[in-house]
Amino acid sequence: MKKILRYTVAFMMMGAMISLQGCEDYFDLDENPNLVNDPPLQTMLSTTTQKTGLNSQRVASITSFFVQYLAGPTAGGSTDTYEIADYTGTWDALYLAMADIHDMKQKARTEGASEYVGVANVMMAYHLMLVSDMWGDAPYSNAFVSTTLTPEFDSAEQLYNESLTLLDEAIAELSKTDSRVKLNAESDLIHNGNTSNWIKTAYALKARQLNKVSETSSYDPKAVLAAVENSYTSNADNADMGVFTTINPWAAVAQNNALLVLGGWLSEQLIEHLKGTTTGIFDPRIEQITERTVNGVFIGTPNGAGNVGPASSTVKDESYISRNSPLTSDEAPLIIVSYPEVKMIEAEAALRDDQRQRAYNAYLEGIRASMRLLQVDPAAANTYVTDPAVAVGAANLTLDLIFKEKYVITYLNPEAWNDARRYDYKYAGFTLPVGAALNTFIRRVAYPVGETSKNPNTPDSAPLSEPLWWDR
Amino acid sequence: MKHNFTLIMLLLLFCLATNAVAQQTDVSGRVTGAEQGMALPGVSVLVKGTTTGTTTDANGDFRIQVPGSDAILVFRYLGYETREVNVGNQSVINVTLNTDTRQLSEVVVTALGITREKKALGYAAQTVETEDLVRNRQPNVLNALQGKVAGANISSTGGAPGQGTNIIIRGINSIDPSQSNQPLFVIDGVLIDNSTSTFGAGAELRGMSNRLADINPDNIESINILKGGAATALYGLRGANGVVVITTKKGEQGALRVNFTSTAGIEEVNKFPDIQDTYTQGYLGVYDPNSFWPSWGPTVAEARQIDPTHPDKLYNHFRDAYETGHQYRNTLSFSGGSEAITFQSSLSHLKHEGVLPFTDFENYSAQLNTNVKLSDKFSTGANFTFTKSGGKRYNADRFNESLSYWSPRWDVTDFRKPDGTMQTYRNNNPIYGAATNQLEDDVNRFIGGLNFGYKPLNWLDLNYRIGVDTYHDDRTRTAPGPRGVPDEITYEDNRQGFVNEYTTKFRAINSTFIATLNSSLGENFNGTFRLGHEVYDRSIKSFGVEGEQLALFDYFNLTNARFLSPVQREEDYRLMGIFAEASVDYRDFLFLTLTGRNDITSSLARDNRSFFYPSVSLSYVFSEHLDLPAFINQSKLRLSYAEIGKDAPPYSTSSGFANYTGLPTGFTGFTRSALLGNAELRPEFTNTYEAGLEMSFLDNRLGFDFTYYYSLSEDQIININVATTTGFVRAAVNSGSMRNRGVEIVLNAVPVRTNDFSWDSRLVFSANRNKILSIREGLEEIAYASQFGYVGATVTMKLIPGQPYGNIYGSHYQRYYGPGEEEDPLFIDEDRPIVIGANGFPVRAPLASQKILGNAQPDWIAGFTNTFTYKNLSLTSLFDAQIGHEKYNQMGNFFAAFGIAEYTENRNQTIVFDGVLKDGTPNTKPVFLGQGIGPDGVNYTNGFYRNVYRGVSENFVEDASWVRLRSLTLSYSLPNKWFENLFIRNAGVSLTGNNLWLSTDYSGFDPENSSTPAGSNVTGFAGFTYPAVRSYLFTLNVGF
Repeated sequence: MKKILRYTVAFMMMGAMISLQGCEDYFDLDENPNLVNDPPLQTMLSTTTQKTGLNSQRVASITSFFVQYLAGPTAGGSTDTYEIADYTGTWDALYLAMADIHDMKQKARTEGASEYVGVANVMMAYHLMLVSDMWGDAPYSNAFVSTTLTPEFDSAEQLYNESLTLLDEAIAELSKTDSRVKLNAESDLIHNGNTSNWIKTAYALKARQLNKVSETSSYDPKAVLAAVENSYTSNADNADMGVFTTINPWAAVAQNNALLVLGGWLSEQLIEHLKGTTTGIFDPRIEQITERTVNGVFIGTPNGAGNVGPASSTVKDESYISRNSPLTSDEAPLIIVSYPEVKMIEAEAALRDDQRQRAYNAYLEGIRASMRLLQVDPAAANTYVTDPAVAVGAANLTLDLIFKEKYVITYLNPEAWNDARRYDYKYAGFTLPVGAALNTFIRRVAYPVGETSKNPNTPDSAPLSEPLWWDR
Repeated sequence: MKHNFTLIMLLLLFCLATNAVAQQTDVSGRVTGAEQGMALPGVSVLVKGTTTGTTTDANGDFRIQVPGSDAILVFRYLGYETREVNVGNQSVINVTLNTDTRQLSEVVVTALGITREKKALGYAAQTVETEDLVRNRQPNVLNALQGKVAGANISSTGGAPGQGTNIIIRGINSIDPSQSNQPLFVIDGVLIDNSTSTFGAGAELRGMSNRLADINPDNIESINILKGGAATALYGLRGANGVVVITTKKGEQGALRVNFTSTAGIEEVNKFPDIQDTYTQGYLGVYDPNSFWPSWGPTVAEARQIDPTHPDKLYNHFRDAYETGHQYRNTLSFSGGSEAITFQSSLSHLKHEGVLPFTDFENYSAQLNTNVKLSDKFSTGANFTFTKSGGKRYNADRFNESLSYWSPRWDVTDFRKPDGTMQTYRNNNPIYGAATNQLEDDVNRFIGGLNFGYKPLNWLDLNYRIGVDTYHDDRTRTAPGPRGVPDEITYEDNRQGFVNEYTTKFRAINSTFIATLNSSLGENFNGTFRLGHEVYDRSIKSFGVEGEQLALFDYFNLTNARFLSPVQREEDYRLMGIFAEASVDYRDFLFLTLTGRNDITSSLARDNRSFFYPSVSLSYVFSEHLDLPAFINQSKLRLSYAEIGKDAPPYSTSSGFANYTGLPTGFTGFTRSALLGNAELRPEFTNTYEAGLEMSFLDNRLGFDFTYYYSLSEDQIININVATTTGFVRAAVNSGSMRNRGVEIVLNAVPVRTNDFSWDSRLVFSANRNKILSIREGLEEIAYASQFGYVGATVTMKLIPGQPYGNIYGSHYQRYYGPGEEEDPLFIDEDRPIVIGANGFPVRAPLASQKILGNAQPDWIAGFTNTFTYKNLSLTSLFDAQIGHEKYNQMGNFFAAFGIAEYTENRNQTIVFDGVLKDGTPNTKPVFLGQGIGPDGVNYTNGFYRNVYRGVSENFVEDASWVRLRSLTLSYSLPNKWFENLFIRNAGVSLTGNNLWLSTDYSGFDPENSSTPAGSNVTGFAGFTYPAVRSYLFTLNVGF
């Protein structure tokens, strides 16, 4: 029996010793196996460039209803009719992308990777534009840092200025030739590692920003033109992103719609504009944007009214986003900012600066570039560009004509809503949606529940009819 | 270094105790039980007034040396009356012990399998025995406990086969809504997993099982619920939310016994919402048989004039869509054994088809328990259970949502066209969705335990147990792609067809060593000292591949998918505890127990990972001490205090970069992790105090057990949801404190007891009050859950200091406040009139004002069981109630938005809303409630219900209190004389009805259910749930 007792004690002691020795390491499970600590810059670049492209589409999937490119297939859709809707998903996607951009920039700084710093700045500036042009004031100066869980809101004007600073810094960083890490072409889903295109994009965004304040006293058309001059020279320079898990998100909307999960219905406003009902001239781009209905015509849906006509929605008797369009096909890249748009900015700024010929040239080149981008038949394009309604001559060029053309160029781009607001929605035939919740056009959206519920610094949302600071 | 301490203590005690043996006169004898005359092994024999003692061996024999003839021997045995015998000049003393029939002397299994006399416990413990468990024939053990345990709030999350069930003991303890508040489950000493995994796309809403569903209630002998800190102290931090100790049936020495139990039954939805049956498909009163809008059209009569094919009355699509469910369970068990080996084994099969079409659950299990007695000193045992379970799950939330869109002008049960595609007028047919969009799980689980008992000396008992709980949970989620046939309308969620394969490998090992030292410390004192060591080591690895866009539309193979994306997740967790328990009893009426445990956890950083916490409990059996009137039977007072530590969820201390899943194959990206980790996290501590009084009267015909508890958790570890402007989704912080206090009452009565007839009655009642005392500095609130509601009706569950957990916040009507009157920012003043706008409709307060609309925690819960027995016939009823809580009815919100609710039938009326205008003057403006141009020529656009009503959360947070007849069982044991000459030993039949009656004001399905999976702390949403069922079951039980 003594023996057994001895064995017992020995056994226990052994057990205790083993657990003692093993103990320190045994409990070291601080490292989360699902995370990495120091991802290479290129893996952050692929994430951030893709998110930037997708966020442009996410925002556009809201604003395209406001500018009446799209219309709800069902009457009384909340975005369609200016109801207060909760865009938490979009807000979160924007901020989580900005956090990744912020992290990439920090890491690039430490590594002396000036090219990555520059790219991060461009994308950050772009996100600030998207956020503040939707909601106005928004967190930035102490956002994405782990020191506060309730970031403060910066004024929309501060964000505007910050975006310009970021773009200037980006241009400086991208111009450096001694970047310790070069942009990885495969991971750069926007410009394939081409720094000079990134610089052009920085200037294009700068031109957008400077032109956006056309209604304020600080507007300087010469500064806009200076930015334009350093920007894109052809569609090959466009900032776009075309890497998707499955297909282009617009194409996915069209695909679902074909399977009667309805969406992507084009607004009557856009269709009538392209058909020339409201503009007086048939625009050949319509064939490259959408398809004819089963009845061989183009029919848009009035915003807020939903499906019209006697036929049910199972009969494809209205126009939708098309998977055959160069802009919305399965593999089409999402365009963030394009050469034709920059030309239109040039046209507007030049016109406001009374440089009529320059304005006119830019106006025509913008249209032609847009036709090329949409792969319009050159003959048809030429017919349009030379039509007296379009080729009015430098002396007769008006802002209305520029906005009319730019409306088509920015199809499904979030920038369209900025233009619409600056232009006070004065597009020909533009009316309030049926059953609108406001008695004026929409000027902003309400802060999302996701932020209001978790960040007490969130200001009360202004009425959706109240213009942003630059939109007076 | 704490190990060293343990070791030294252990060695010291060995030495101390060995010195105590050295004596003179020899006395021997045998101890037997009075009833059957069986020898009693393990009886404590003690020389009164000394520390000399021994215990009887397997034959009930003992031998002891006594100081002289005036010595008195004290014989003590659990469950028997203690006896004292004068030695005199006897050298052989044979003693018979009488069974202790007093109520409180029952033996209970406490922490770590330690059995103790109930009277010695200084805390509340409640046992549910097998007959109570199996009576209502619930497939899930937790459901079988409903209404039977004071202080345990048990709720089904829905009526799906195998659907998870939630249990909260004594209220929510963690502010962190992502932390589990579910108790620890222990089966025969093995810590088992009761998580509800939602791994895999869309599993969240598919009513996945809590893993206790793998356990067959028929195999359970008893369940003990350890509620307070003192009761669970030895289990350490994993027992911080209470412990459910399950003991399975063991074999008994004797001939082989075979038992067969078969249950079969049907079930149906127990409660449907009321829907309108006047208005048909269309919008603005215009009939359109292809409209998306199910019920904003004209009346049926009007529509029939336009469309002669319109049915003469609308379908009740909610009733039509659900079917009658079926279930059956067969269990065959064998038990028996010799003196050396006993065993119990069983095989069982459960098949359950739900009321929602195409949902089911199946469970096969095999179990073996053996105990081997190698010698008087050494024994060993093994328990093994293998289970295969799983079934087809469907998203009930989606099903009911689609049903809400479905127009009752059309027959929803006609869901498939001859070519296999969806039959519909336009909207998604929910039944087609259930038929094609499937998630099937298949769990293969093994739970095994080995234990070794060694008793080298009669005062020393060593016990070691190793247990393993391991399973593979395979999930396959599939949907066919478009078939490409003409006029095909696809089901939205099926997209282009997909096949997702997921696997989770779970493995937990736990090892427990306990040394028990018994000693008598003089005439009046007895002491027991325990030392133990425990390790828990858990590893979970999940991975899956999601294949999208099928080439062949219904070939569910990953190779058939165009796009593949992988998911992977790993988690390891380790915990070690060293613990000690010392208990001393004084003259059998005063019992004091002290415990201490030191945990070392892997989920906190090195400096904070080791922490100690103590408990103390006292039981005073005053009926043994004081001279009380004869009508008072055994009665006692309990007091306890415990501190409980708690660690963090694994990996809360680290942040980093996670794989970014938005990129296709060929691209790798990383993104900031959703959680902001915190390396500085400290363990959180809860201090609990408990006091109780148990008394019984009138020959134990009447008794009560009253408990009051108070617990305060401080420095809580919370993974709070943060605004995404921080760049994170969640952040780990130590902050906040929360209080729970409550009462538990158990009343027992035997109003009638005659030879042939008896009536037993038991009431359990509990009430818990919770208050959040503080949250993180700088934060005014923590929002932890929200559920969608139309145009501003979204509700949020938030933690606000001073308020209880479970509050539901949302938008509300504007109430009138006169000049100088201040509005309360959190509470609605129901007495004030509602402000009516100039347009004649009630005004919603600005959305920024979110007020308390209800709380999801019940004010009190109760269960009332009555058993009437007449000869072989017995009838048991269980009434169950949860009173004083609210839930958000999302389905109600949709019912308003789509004109489905019965109350929307008044849409053709013109009324004057009760309320006042902005200036306080009464509203007098009549308005039309319908859509479009009203009789007064005014355009009412989308109508009151869409313009106003659906956007106000206040309308949809409803009183969810309920009282129900949880079960009614009639059972009859066939008289033995019927089969005297057969090989049958016993036989019985029973009929059970569950959920036969429900009383509630809630307008949706049964409000017990919840939109969130089992284990979630978000219990305030009960809209589109899998409806609860009423079931009728027949059971046959035969023993051979």
